[in-house]
Amino acid sequence: MRFLKYAIILFVAAICFLSCEKDDFCTQNPVTPNLVLRFYDNTTLTEFKEVKRFTMSTGGITLFSDIATDSIAIPLNTIAEETIFTLTRNETDSEDNTGDETATLTVKYTSENEYISRSCGFRVIFNNVTFEATGWIDRLSVTEVESIKNQANAHVNIFH
Amino acid sequence: MRTLTFSIKVFIFLFAVNLQAQKTSKKETPKDSVVYKTGYGLRLGIDLSKPGLSFIDKSYTGFEIVGDYRVSKNWYVAAEIGHEEEITFEDFTTSTSKGNYIRLGANLNTYNNWLDMNNEIYIGGRYGFAIFEHTLNEFTPNISTGSTDTPIIFPNQTITTPVSESGLTAHWFEFQIGIKVETFKNLFIGFHGAYKIGLSIDDQENFKTLYTPGFNRVFESNTGFGFNYTISYLIPFVNK
Repeated sequence: MRFLKYAIILFVAAICFLSCEKDDFCTQNPVTPNLVLRFYDNTTLTEFKEVKRFTMSTGGITLFSDIATDSIAIPLNTIAEETIFTLTRNETDSEDNTGDETATLTVKYTSENEYISRSCGFRVIFNNVTFEATGWIDRLSVTEVESIKNQANAHVNIFH
Repeated sequence: MRTLTFSIKVFIFLFAVNLQAQKTSKKETPKDSVVYKTGYGLRLGIDLSKPGLSFIDKSYTGFEIVGDYRVSKNWYVAAEIGHEEEITFEDFTTSTSKGNYIRLGANLNTYNNWLDMNNEIYIGGRYGFAIFEHTLNEFTPNISTGSTDTPIIFPNQTITTPVSESGLTAHWFEFQIGIKVETFKNLFIGFHGAYKIGLSIDDQENFKTLYTPGFNRVFESNTGFGFNYTISYLIPFVNK
């Protein structure tokens, strides 16, 4: 009986400590990585340069509008093979849009579904990514990226 | 002198007789306890919880046969074999696991029975083995932004083409605590709870096994829980 008592205590303790599982809620967000862009000054090449009155849209959907930033994280279309972004900036006006300049960033890739966990399901990673830019974007730091699997660092630096 | 020798001889004789008498009296004293015999044999039964659960839960079907064989006063060799099919619904995936399993091991009865009662409170250990098929029925890629303020701007697509892989195996150790009560002569009702530790559980390609027959839900740390509720019949071979 003494043995049984210890066995029960061990059993209950095991259940208490080992049943607390972290796989019920997906705490990893976002699971599918965003595309991270950073904006640099085209003359110094090392300093960040904010884009003034920055508006970004794709396929008629506006991601954000009229902000000043040097760093953005944007989603890619997972069911298509390319996403074309329209980037609008205005460095001359403070109110109206007469000084708007536009640029396009075309991102092409092949998407792949990768399993993460019970609660998070599958995420999409992007392979063989290529970038193409026109308009006020002078230069991109890279035009080809092997894969986008996380968003810890910038994938492309944009010089303008 | 003669009388003295005689009296010594008589004394020794009496002493010897006395010893003899003591010995015999010891032998003849009846024991104050009776040995109650209980049946040794093969006990076979079924798990009632699995057909019951199949009836309530449409995404589950299962069947389990249990058996044990008593090898000594407190030790039983025990096994369970069964078949299970379970559909697991998660936020982003739906998967089916289907297959057969066997669990082999022993139970140690820790309960001291009164008289001729034959009940058990036991602890048991098992080695479990399953061969199963795992199917990813459908999944929706998780493109959530992680914040309710940021809407998802691109459309999503649920992939409904099932991907299946059969011949997957699982091995695990199991620790059980249970009771068995003799309700009618040789008819037992039993219950056990189990904690399982997976040794190796195969996953299908680009997915994970979320449920294993005989192991139940596979938690992230490769552990699991189980229980059964059995009715079993003892076929006694001998009474010891």
